[in-house]
Amino acid sequence: MEYILKNGVVFDPKNDVNGEETDIFIRDNKIVDKVSSDAKVLDVSGKLVMPGGVDLHSHIAGPKLSIGRLYRPEDIRKGVRAAPKDEVSGFEAGFSLPTCPTIGYRYTKMGYTTVTEAAVPPLEAKHAHEEINSIPNLDIPTLTLFGNNWFMLKYVKENRLDDLTLFISKWLKLAKGYGIKIVNPCGSEAWGWGKNVDGLDDPEPHWGVTGREVITSLTKVNERLGLPHSVHVHTNDLGHPGNYETTLETFDCVKDIKKNKNVDRNQIMHCTHIQFHAYKGTSWRDVSSGATELIDYINKHDHLTCDIGQITFDETTTMTADAPMEYDLFRLTGLKWANKDIEVETASGLIPSIYSSRAPVSVLQWAVGLEFFMGVRDPWKIALTTDSPNGGPFIRYPKIISWLMSNEKLQDMLDNEVHNWATNRTDLGTYNREYTWDEIAILTRASTSKILGLEDRGHLGVGAKADVSVYDIDVNDFDPTLKSNSSVIEEKLLNSKYTIKDGQILVKDSKIVKLVKSNHIWCNVQGLEKYEKTLEKRIKPEFNKYYTIKYENYGVNDHYVEPETRINIKYGGESFENN
Amino acid sequence: MEKPITDYDEVVRNCSCSYCGNNCDDITYLLKDKEIVGVRHACRIGASKIINDKDQRLLNPMVRNSEGILEETTWDIALDKTAELLYNSVRPVLYGWGETSVEAIKKGIKIAEITGSVIDNQSTICHGSSIQAFQNVGHPVMTLGEVKNRADVIIYVGTNPMDDHPRHLSRYTTFPEGFFRRNGRKDRTIITLDPKYTNTAKVSDEWIQFNMNEDYLLFNALRMLLKGEKLDEKEIAGVPIERLENLVETMKNAEYGALFFGLGVSQTLAKQKNVDVLIQLVEDLNNYSKWSMLPMRGFFNVSGFNIALTSETGYPYGVDFSRGYPRFMVGETTTIDLLNRREPDFFMAVSADPGVQFPGYTIQHLVNIPTIQIDTHWGPYTELSDIVLPSTRVGVETEGTAYRMDSIPLFMKKVIDKPENCHSDEWILTRLYERLEQLKQMEDE
Amino acid sequence: MKVILNTGTSVIQAFYEKKGSTLKDEYRQAAAVAFMDINDMKKLSLNPRDKIKIKSDWGEVVVFVDKSHDAPHEGMIFLPKGPWANIVISPETYCCNVPTYKGVTAEISKTDEDVLLVSELMNKVYGKYNLKAEQLSDRPVYKKMGE
Repeated sequence: MEYILKNGVVFDPKNDVNGEETDIFIRDNKIVDKVSSDAKVLDVSGKLVMPGGVDLHSHIAGPKLSIGRLYRPEDIRKGVRAAPKDEVSGFEAGFSLPTCPTIGYRYTKMGYTTVTEAAVPPLEAKHAHEEINSIPNLDIPTLTLFGNNWFMLKYVKENRLDDLTLFISKWLKLAKGYGIKIVNPCGSEAWGWGKNVDGLDDPEPHWGVTGREVITSLTKVNERLGLPHSVHVHTNDLGHPGNYETTLETFDCVKDIKKNKNVDRNQIMHCTHIQFHAYKGTSWRDVSSGATELIDYINKHDHLTCDIGQITFDETTTMTADAPMEYDLFRLTGLKWANKDIEVETASGLIPSIYSSRAPVSVLQWAVGLEFFMGVRDPWKIALTTDSPNGGPFIRYPKIISWLMSNEKLQDMLDNEVHNWATNRTDLGTYNREYTWDEIAILTRASTSKILGLEDRGHLGVGAKADVSVYDIDVNDFDPTLKSNSSVIEEKLLNSKYTIKDGQILVKDSKIVKLVKSNHIWCNVQGLEKYEKTLEKRIKPEFNKYYTIKYENYGVNDHYVEPETRINIKYGGESFENN
Repeated sequence: MEKPITDYDEVVRNCSCSYCGNNCDDITYLLKDKEIVGVRHACRIGASKIINDKDQRLLNPMVRNSEGILEETTWDIALDKTAELLYNSVRPVLYGWGETSVEAIKKGIKIAEITGSVIDNQSTICHGSSIQAFQNVGHPVMTLGEVKNRADVIIYVGTNPMDDHPRHLSRYTTFPEGFFRRNGRKDRTIITLDPKYTNTAKVSDEWIQFNMNEDYLLFNALRMLLKGEKLDEKEIAGVPIERLENLVETMKNAEYGALFFGLGVSQTLAKQKNVDVLIQLVEDLNNYSKWSMLPMRGFFNVSGFNIALTSETGYPYGVDFSRGYPRFMVGETTTIDLLNRREPDFFMAVSADPGVQFPGYTIQHLVNIPTIQIDTHWGPYTELSDIVLPSTRVGVETEGTAYRMDSIPLFMKKVIDKPENCHSDEWILTRLYERLEQLKQMEDE
Repeated sequence: MKVILNTGTSVIQAFYEKKGSTLKDEYRQAAAVAFMDINDMKKLSLNPRDKIKIKSDWGEVVVFVDKSHDAPHEGMIFLPKGPWANIVISPETYCCNVPTYKGVTAEISKTDEDVLLVSELMNKVYGKYNLKAEQLSDRPVYKKMGE
């Protein structure tokens, strides 16, 4: 099938196309430079055209979501809608915890085509992939949790980086994972005893290993393997006043590690939901923003990238493998607490969270997130996320964009809507930056793809995946800086005019017209199979002793990941011959 | 002693048991001429299910004739009749699902949606009250390996795993060596709270007997003692205060504590309120030490149904599609309540036997409405069924996904061939779905 | 005698239920048995495998008795879950979807009446198809194709 998207106003930052009125040619699933005369013309004259949206950190599949839905029917009830008669999609249910199909519908309508599931424990990876099979219309890479895994801890403790390299390579195959996720390294293991670690250099009580050792070891392994994405780090001390120092130390601890020469990305570490890690002070009474120091570091260094984890003033559900933090929140708020410890691998916790524009702490967190958007000069270093649903559900991205594009809107919120901690305890009031469409396209498409290492998307160059979104905004006749237009931005970005994925029209005029199966994206390192086998042989007796399922039943069977995009990576690192 | 099986020609290892929520995945099947002749590692009950009673197997579709006798028929006739009855009903209930695969369950959910049915599983008669409690106060759980590796104190309340989940103690919690419990059983204190001296109580270090229906009182007393309150009574729920004080001390001083509870808590008088307090007790204990809990789920995939249903509809059980979108209201959209109110006009049980599971008063309504059975063996419900569709056994004749009581997913293998004219639940439900779609299309035209 | 009735799983009942042998005598022997405290049995002059009639607000059923291995629990009887127990337990959910399987008050008395097999019991108690005695058996009774 061939299409011409005619006369749209195109924002394709990677290819330096900045709001030019130009045609996009699609043949089958790719962007091409010309099409035949049979091509179908889609007239999008003057409309906003961008590559399909790419989310690099969201929680959309797996056990955390299931627990959330199971214990929060009140959230499900908030998002119920009967199946529309004039669309192919079914009913919707859930707000911060949408059902699997609902997740697909809502992202598709927002013009997103790739969404990363950011935390999957290998033991329950089948569950995540099973849920992905119920989410329509997306490409979904999953990040595999390694930051508290016992085999990892053992190899780090004994400084066996060769074994750790093989372990990661093998375990990504077993979990059908795309990259390495580290969450509160050593802290979630300490939670096995009801404890946490305090900062980067506090050793886990049993293993004697520190967060610093885990992060640097896994970063070295990541670069040695040449994985397309860098390590994806949720640093220690999330949500604790005073934690910005730990975050700074974490930024700095990997800066001398050499990036693999074959990868496209610039960073060797991605620090996620940075907003939650940027507080000064000693308690929630004297807390203030630590964003300025972190922004300064980010502006001066090129080895790391961040996403924000913006707060959106909703009643939402927090969920994370940082289980001790969730218990802290439980003691703070008394809302109903869920916890799930997963043998040998990780812990996890959930708790509802009510972010109010009148509550000082919520407002501080909201302002800290916006400080990063305003303060980090190079938008290629950051990505727009809410750590959905932790800071707010992903359907709030358009609202955030409306804040970023209008200083008038933001100022109005500071003056009339939010608690005064936003101005008294953060530097948000000192910025007057307004984002352009080009920069928005970076935050939501170009930088996220580059950071993830998915070079085939996030842009509209010839040969790119034909993932395109078109919004019903007449770019040249529309002033996004006006406060009065912020609700228009939100409405239009929530309901795309076209969402095209792999050259197929999924949304037309804000209606879902096609449903396709989501694609599982995972990394397959090639060339180490022989060594992985010997590692497997050594691991198996321990595995069968400390897990409660058999090793033979552990991996994700191939049929759970259909259709798949298997990214083959030829291993080109140090030799294992001496192993 | 039964003699060991020696006459076999094939060994298949690491099969998953299809009995209880332990989902033991270390089972070995011994085959001779492509038939299972022996089972290793499984408990008695699991082995009995895998070996199964062949002369009560449902082998062909059947429909009741005018004399009320089940009569064999073709799949086409049986499925057409089922589809027609379901399509023309206004308050259908699709019940069961605890002993089939997630793949089949997902087909069932689709059918429920297009027919406006209520879809519900055994949670509605078992741990539904526990799920309500999770929704009320919280959900602090763990996988079983956490208990094996860490737990030094394990408490069983109102559950008797030695009978219901026979390998729970031996494979998952009490007896095996764990990473931090090298001496297995010796490194752990096991306490059973139960009105009866159960087989689990017998292998425990301590049995605390308490009065029937006084769970709520007992658990509240434990919470008060934990908070340092003084109790004036000499005994609570029949237990001397000193024993409760000692119990609280043991719990507080645990390095890692695990609490398992069963239907003895969730089915007795205060039901979900009992579990509410138990959860709060575990939450409170985390101020002193590390504690987690888990309900002892019965069927091998009762947890998988809750997970699949939440993935697809948002709610864990008792989902009503009569308005086209899912609704869940305890006591309204749940099977027993619906049948007690004499509301349903169609009832289909998939891999479940309401004749074994439901109160007689509830069953009486099944006499007055069309009833369909999809199952593997003739049972009490067959005696009440108008149409019988013979299916296959997951983990033996059919592959599929199941979730353990702690929600660990397992892929269950197909090992032997199914009886010729039986079909998997997934196959049957797919054919039924197709017929329902056709009926819908015909009506639309 | 007034008792509190509890129902639940027993190994032997589950064994035959899961095996799929519910029509047969072995299932009846395993599931249609009230397990009693020996002192309660003495009060009614009951020996193991004698029969009692259990009456509750919801119905009545005849079952065997046996000595409980979980005693002492005077005043409480245990009946494995199944078609016999169902007749006397309470359907009341108190609007919380789970019927009352445990802690049901009942009256028990010694009897000479028969303990029915599953097919007889279902036919007699529910009467959906009003089958004749020869159509009820401990094996499946049905009409084969083409018979």
